[in-house]
Amino acid sequence: MHIPTLAPETLFHVGQFPVTNTIINVWLAIVIFLIIGLCLRRRLGVRPGKMQNFIEYFLEILLGYFDQVTGDRKKTMKFLPLAGSIFFFILLSNWLGLIPGTGSITFGGKMLLRPANTDLNLTVSMALVSVVASHLFGLITVGVFTHLNKFVQIGTLIKSFRKGPMAIFTAIIEVAVGFIEIISEMAKVLSLSLRLFGNIFAGEVLMTVMSSLVGLLVPTPFMLLELLVGLIQAAVFTMLTLVYLTVLTTEPAHEEH
Amino acid sequence: MFLIDIAYASESAEAAAETASGGGVLASLGIDPVLLIFQLINFAVVAAILWFLILKPLTKKMAERQNMIDDSLQNVKKIEDNLARSEQKYQERIDQAKVEASKILEKTNQEAVELGDNLKKKAKKEIELLVDQAKRNIKIEHDEMAAQIRASAAELVVAAVEKVLGEKLKESDDKKVISHALKDLGEKL
Repeated sequence: MHIPTLAPETLFHVGQFPVTNTIINVWLAIVIFLIIGLCLRRRLGVRPGKMQNFIEYFLEILLGYFDQVTGDRKKTMKFLPLAGSIFFFILLSNWLGLIPGTGSITFGGKMLLRPANTDLNLTVSMALVSVVASHLFGLITVGVFTHLNKFVQIGTLIKSFRKGPMAIFTAIIEVAVGFIEIISEMAKVLSLSLRLFGNIFAGEVLMTVMSSLVGLLVPTPFMLLELLVGLIQAAVFTMLTLVYLTVLTTEPAHEEH
Repeated sequence: MFLIDIAYASESAEAAAETASGGGVLASLGIDPVLLIFQLINFAVVAAILWFLILKPLTKKMAERQNMIDDSLQNVKKIEDNLARSEQKYQERIDQAKVEASKILEKTNQEAVELGDNLKKKAKKEIELLVDQAKRNIKIEHDEMAAQIRASAAELVVAAVEKVLGEKLKESDDKKVISHALKDLGEKL
């Protein structure tokens, strides 16, 4: 039995660059998406075929959920490139971890296939993209000064000098709150990446242990649970990304002191 | 056997974690800057493929379809309006035509009645003319006949008188007698 380590295993090197088993899974996902995309492109039409109808059905459901978070279809469509990609990619790579051979096929004594999200590098990079994108959207939508003033509330402090000691006191507290906001932005990256990594990694370990204890039928219910976990984790990551995007692209409610 | 394996595996995992902890917490978790950039690029590729090959065309088509449905619904409304309007117009025209037709019929009737009356009057006049003419002809014939009768009666009287008298009267007496006789005859006639 080979219990996966926290770090992904490097299978081989291309030049100087290491290729890990999780990267193989990401490439697999890329190939699958590429095939679906190319197939879809050929048959795409206003009158949908079976495949287009099937994907559109899921997309419609997804857009409905997105609308609940953003509260506006226009905003949803603006965030769809990021949120939609995150959702479908996490979902597919989570479910790819359930295909037979993951964990059991070895290459040079190491797992050849390992669920992509059991690699903290990937989850961190996605979380970074999600948080950085939310800030970029915020900068563009609400303006540079307004956006930065959410974190470094110098502007509020300067304005408060004209309004008396009470306003200055409040402004100082707001400056402190701004620092906490900065820390919470970092925590966003940490929580997003560790949540996804932890869940999928734990699932992978569980599956490995279960299938090594009793190979037949016993892991099946756990596999079903993993299907569910894969979907839920994809949804959670996406919804949180959307929440960050929505919050940072909303004008802060200015209270005049 | 398996449990022993698990125990060994967990030990080896711990050992790996311990050795990794030498490189810091990040390294023990498997974070590696090169791999991080790799995965970032991988994710960018995935996102690009998903967006440009799947999501964008799909949402475009969906929006297109939505627009088409909206347009057709609007068109249906327009068509229905047009239909209602043309039906109304049709009905108006029909009503107008009916009114005109009844007017024409009425006029025709009136004209027919007038024509009938005119024809009757004309016929009456013509008949009257004919009657008059016939009357005149009859009168002329009657006059002619009377003249003829008068002439032949005179001759007859002369002959009879000649025969009765056996001899010719003097011409003056003769004429007196004749004219007398003719006067009488004329009165009688």
